[in-house]
Amino acid sequence: MLRFLLSQALSVVITMVVVLSLVFVAMRALPGDAAAILGGLDTTEAQVDALRRQLGLDQSVAVQFGVYWSGVVRGDLGRSIRERRPVAEVLRDRLPVTLALASFAFVLALAIGLGLGLLAGRHPGSPLDNATLGFTTIGLALPEFWFGFLLILIFAVQFGAFPVIGYPVAGDVGVRLWHLVLPAVTLAIPRAAQMARLARARLLEELGADYTRTARSKGLPARRVTRHVAANAFPGLLPLLALELGGLLTGTIVVEQVFGLPGLGLTLLGAIGARDYPVVQGVTILAVTIYIGVNWLADLLQIAADPRLRYE
Amino acid sequence: MQHPFRTPLVVATLVVALLVGSAFARTVTIATSAQPETLDPHVTSATSSFQTMKSIYDTLVEPDQSGVIVPGLAHSWTVSEDGLMLAFVLREGVLFHDGSEFDSADVAATITRLQAEGSPKANEFAMIVDVATPDALTVELTLDAPAPALLASFASGWGAIVPSELIEADHDFGNRPVGTGPYVFAEWVRDSFVRLTANPDYHAGEPEVEEVVIRYVADTSVQFQGLQTGEFDIAVDVAAVDWPTIESDPRFVLEQGPSGLVLVSALNTRRPYLEDPRVRRALNLAVDTDTVMEVAYGGGFPVGTFMEAGSPWLPDTIEPYGYDPERARELLAEAGVPDDWTLDMALPQPYDTHITAGQVIQDMLGDVGVTVEIRVVEWGVWLGEIYANDRDFDMTVIGHTGKLDASGRLGGYGERDRTYHGYENAEVAAMVQEAAVISDPGERAELYAAVLTALHDEPPFIYIGTPFTTFARAADVDGFWITPLLDTFDLRSLRVD
Repeated sequence: MLRFLLSQALSVVITMVVVLSLVFVAMRALPGDAAAILGGLDTTEAQVDALRRQLGLDQSVAVQFGVYWSGVVRGDLGRSIRERRPVAEVLRDRLPVTLALASFAFVLALAIGLGLGLLAGRHPGSPLDNATLGFTTIGLALPEFWFGFLLILIFAVQFGAFPVIGYPVAGDVGVRLWHLVLPAVTLAIPRAAQMARLARARLLEELGADYTRTARSKGLPARRVTRHVAANAFPGLLPLLALELGGLLTGTIVVEQVFGLPGLGLTLLGAIGARDYPVVQGVTILAVTIYIGVNWLADLLQIAADPRLRYE
Repeated sequence: MQHPFRTPLVVATLVVALLVGSAFARTVTIATSAQPETLDPHVTSATSSFQTMKSIYDTLVEPDQSGVIVPGLAHSWTVSEDGLMLAFVLREGVLFHDGSEFDSADVAATITRLQAEGSPKANEFAMIVDVATPDALTVELTLDAPAPALLASFASGWGAIVPSELIEADHDFGNRPVGTGPYVFAEWVRDSFVRLTANPDYHAGEPEVEEVVIRYVADTSVQFQGLQTGEFDIAVDVAAVDWPTIESDPRFVLEQGPSGLVLVSALNTRRPYLEDPRVRRALNLAVDTDTVMEVAYGGGFPVGTFMEAGSPWLPDTIEPYGYDPERARELLAEAGVPDDWTLDMALPQPYDTHITAGQVIQDMLGDVGVTVEIRVVEWGVWLGEIYANDRDFDMTVIGHTGKLDASGRLGGYGERDRTYHGYENAEVAAMVQEAAVISDPGERAELYAAVLTALHDEPPFIYIGTPFTTFARAADVDGFWITPLLDTFDLRSLRVD
């Protein structure tokens, strides 16, 4: 177990180094530079040069790379070029919005996806099953921003039931949840569709398995059969759930943009536009950490749920 | 037994109380597309930043609704005969938002900050060689050359006065601004909104609306939707396609006024054929600018040189080019432009109006036998590769914002390396430099008229026009002003009826 954890930790570090280096180089390879953007339309070249010196962007990429890494090792993510404050502070302000949105969406996706999937799996070929199939096809095929705008048009503009845009960071929990309903539904739909498909498939597989037939033929009550089936179907779903959680992170970028939610996704887009390299790198570190952490957790949970994995 | 009238009476009282209460405590929400990069007035030159900062800070002098410079934090000023001395008498009893008193030391410290390295506007204040503060309410500036545009610089957003104590303490004005303005900064959630509350100590009286939220909404259709649902009281950027809907709805008012913008399609005069003024004139004649203005920008006024329509600097001898594709073809043939001449047009994302204008222009130039290939680039790339550094483009479309003084618009003109279009003319360069350091208004006007005439005759742009400043507001929210030329938001007379 310890060896497993250690090897996992090592792979986390390697992943982080590779991803962060890639992002560092990719951002510098983008045309355009932070000083010119900060200066705007009326600045002269001399002023842009002065800004560049002030921000340390006049040094070679190799030197910047070194400076950045020596900071990261000491736990210092640098200062935001655009916001002129520590990157850690920017992330701390923005993370809660994204976490709230992602967890709300995940709970929704879980409830809708597993619920529909299990119901459809129990009654294959039924109208409900067909409806589920229809929902999942549409849910997977259509992009998030399209759903977002559709929901805004119907529920915010037409019925006025929800706000069009924004998020009161300092508002009451109820008000904040109210602002998150449409974004969370938008984010949840494709994930729910994916989960419903897999849950249905897993259930059908287990329901058709020999042990289920045996259990039924020896007259086990339906409730007990369900328990056996669930115990076998559930662990197989875990890696997918972890993947979906990771997918939620990328989904939040689009959804935060559509609904104007000031989370990490909007920060990332703003930072890319302003070539705010330290913030892009900071968000990357955070996203990779969350992604790896969730997958790690899923592995551990799977081991806990499936005794067979413990002896490998 | 309950009194029969009690319940209705209580309800009525509550309703009245709620109505009265809401009228006073109402928050006005303004949606606009561009957000500030910073709230520090001395590190940026971006209009989007000053739109929000305008309400937090005050300047010594300011433009009024007609663009004339009037007193602000200074209630009077004098310029010496030789133009080498500018003195301000300051308003008494003005308080900064942190409670400290505004005096001449704050002005002196602010000027030093404006001249420092990293201040994008340092060159506008570089001629100030000495700042004397004989008493708390007098500031005397000594200049090493007459600077007729200096007053305009003090009236611009970057002329904002900040407290000297906080400058010394290296305060983070960018995130926690402190000024003397009508509104006090309350909160900024980046990419989302800025919240401002009325300044009860404002020197011209407390603003009527207690709280203003400026929301940054990039998508103009979302601004329009928010206006319809009542989430926004004012939508600053509504697309021209939505104007008829707004005008026909009694709940909203569409406000239109003149703007300080000059919309242009810049031509890179370093490139083959584009270096020939005949070709550039031909391109002007080949474009029906009325149509471009109508389709892309919702209408406006034509211009014939690099100055906004209606500007006092415009000599009345300059006429817009007009649309004459026949003459355009003749000129192109005369200049020996080959049949397969192809131009690379770089258009800035996410400015949809400029992209639309570019497409219309592409179509019109096609009619006179010039092929245009459009390339859409992201704004950061546009600033870094088209406007500065490599300048690798043949044409682009952009709007240049207004300036209080002609020197702001024409600085560097005539010198190849100082402008993105690279227009070169030694005579023009000399006139621009001279006009910046002489104080006689008549002579300056003549020099700029000559410069603007040259910019008409050898156009480095296809001149498109000056659009309207257009915004939509809820019928009960009035008094929102957009400062002429500076295009900043003036919230001082904002009210809810």
